[in-house]
Amino acid sequence: MALLSNEPIARGISEAALAASIERSGEGSIPVRARYEALARFAALPASEFARPGRSWKHDLAKLDFSALVPFDPQGHAAHNGIAPALPPAGVTVEPFSRARADHRAAFEAAFGRALDAGDDKFASLAVAFQNQGTFVDLAAGVQLDVPIVLSYEARGDAACFPYTLVHVGVGARATVLERLEGGPAGAFYCGLTEIVVEERGRLAYAVVQRTGSQARTIFTRRASLAADATLELAVAELGGEHAVSRIRVAENAAGSSAALTALFFSDGRQHVDLATEIVHVMGNTQSQTHVRSAGTDHGQGRYFGNIKILASAHGADALLRDNALLLSPDAHIDSVPALEIAANDVKAFHGATVGAISEDELFYAQSRGITRADAERMIALGFFEPAVVRFPGEGLRDELRASLAAKLSQRIAPA
Amino acid sequence: MTQRGLRISGLRAAVEGKEILKGIDLQLEPGSIHALMGPNGSGKSTLAFSLTGHPSYEVTAGSATLDGLDILGLAPDKRAKAGLFLSFQYPAAIPGVSVANFVRAARQAVRPDDLPPAKFRQLIYSQLDALDMDHALLPRYLNDGFSGGEKKRLEMLQLAMLQPKYAILDETDSGLDVDALRAVGSSVNAQRATAQDDAAGFLIITHYPRILQYVRPDAVHIMIDGRIVQSGGPELADVIERDGYDAFREEVAGGVA
Repeated sequence: MALLSNEPIARGISEAALAASIERSGEGSIPVRARYEALARFAALPASEFARPGRSWKHDLAKLDFSALVPFDPQGHAAHNGIAPALPPAGVTVEPFSRARADHRAAFEAAFGRALDAGDDKFASLAVAFQNQGTFVDLAAGVQLDVPIVLSYEARGDAACFPYTLVHVGVGARATVLERLEGGPAGAFYCGLTEIVVEERGRLAYAVVQRTGSQARTIFTRRASLAADATLELAVAELGGEHAVSRIRVAENAAGSSAALTALFFSDGRQHVDLATEIVHVMGNTQSQTHVRSAGTDHGQGRYFGNIKILASAHGADALLRDNALLLSPDAHIDSVPALEIAANDVKAFHGATVGAISEDELFYAQSRGITRADAERMIALGFFEPAVVRFPGEGLRDELRASLAAKLSQRIAPA
Repeated sequence: MTQRGLRISGLRAAVEGKEILKGIDLQLEPGSIHALMGPNGSGKSTLAFSLTGHPSYEVTAGSATLDGLDILGLAPDKRAKAGLFLSFQYPAAIPGVSVANFVRAARQAVRPDDLPPAKFRQLIYSQLDALDMDHALLPRYLNDGFSGGEKKRLEMLQLAMLQPKYAILDETDSGLDVDALRAVGSSVNAQRATAQDDAAGFLIITHYPRILQYVRPDAVHIMIDGRIVQSGGPELADVIERDGYDAFREEVAGGVA
């Protein structure tokens, strides 16, 4: 929505804008000093890491111009922050991030910053500095929660949305959390941070569905830290936005921890998705699986960096990275860069990557059964995503993803 | 008046510019079973792919009509809708698409809205049973990780579910054990024996006369080097069983000289 003309607007990323934001909203759960330090890091850290050399990428984080950005809404309704269930059961905290430190100081401070190493990350630092939305989720030891916790963030008006999601799963606790990023007007800007800490024997299924508007830009950093015998199933679907950046790092810090990381994206129109995943095996006897499925059509672009890092201390680690990309148009482009960095002996590490088009043999087979070429393409492309879709929690969510992907396919392919 | 039958006349076809079919004439009537036999590389599969419209196979001359409809100008799915079916020698796998969904989509494509979902389930279960196939196959991804025998049975399941007018079985018998062969045979016989108006015609492509013990053909054609060099009754299969293809090869050589 338009800002009132007589409001002083602090545009851009600056100390003045941060000061105005804090004056309006209070410091919230992140101390003022920490916000200024984060802003200084954002300014100091080089953007070169985000540069996209080698081809003419439509979007380049190194060249972003923030001068027109409104980092907060002076009218105070910057974003919608949905939380369900509204009344969580005993042992479960689901609280707006802004009040978490005030209301749950001990639990919040014990978890905050544990999975994060914001010091080395430009956009994570930006998200800390201007945090204006978010949720704190805390599960006490042993709590078994069957109902998924659903968090949704949506930018409103002209203001940017900076959500911070902090999830702490206590010893032996189990839960499912769904983070939704939705809507957003033309030019909406989301820059967020998700921090996940899973304690010993804890189990967390965490799913992200990014379906922001077709002209939104989203930059998310997600960090997880796993204790001994902890399990994390992290599944991310990047479906919306014009430019979506998703950077994920999971640290397996103790023996017996296990991480299953799934990501899918589908760049259509003029969409660009930048995905980077990293699993760090810090200790031995840790397991990880990374499954990425991506497709591009129209003029869609995508880039995937997948890394498995096995430290010298991680003897007996077992890692798998599988990355498959499907190109549905000659103008679509997906780069895939999987990597293994192994410093330990005696580990199992596998990686495999493919980039290709739909095979003519599959198309002909389906056509020979009476299915039109266009329908066959849709069917095969949907099937291509299925091994990733089935790794998301809940049949309802899986059906939603299938419908979203099917809608993108229908928009693309003209009927035969 | 339309001429019933799958009528192939003077058909020539090439793959990557190399002529493989050098003038094929063949008439398959509804309810009849013809066997097409010949050594490897004689062009049997090329005939199957040319008739069903595989994009890599270029028809350069001749005609093919299905109950009077010229099929050579049609897209492969239109040929299937007209009633043509191919049981593939090497069926493609489509990961992520379940057998149940695929067969449902195919049935819906060739026979739109003729079966409500409950009836479809009933039919597919009974056809699975008839082919001695496990119901647990239905949620599996199409041909993905299937054994050779499972793939061939799945082709027969689709044949039974789609009920085409004319079916080409391209070496469906190869790689099948005796039980599977018997199941395939009774499936073909059952479809042939349906009411006369709906009876399907079959073109069974095979190396070996073995399958013909289970499905008695009305006619046998011998194909060598892209031509049908001899046609006859089922006794022709017995000649091949006894003498192999060499006698027919000599005939071709003699004819050329």
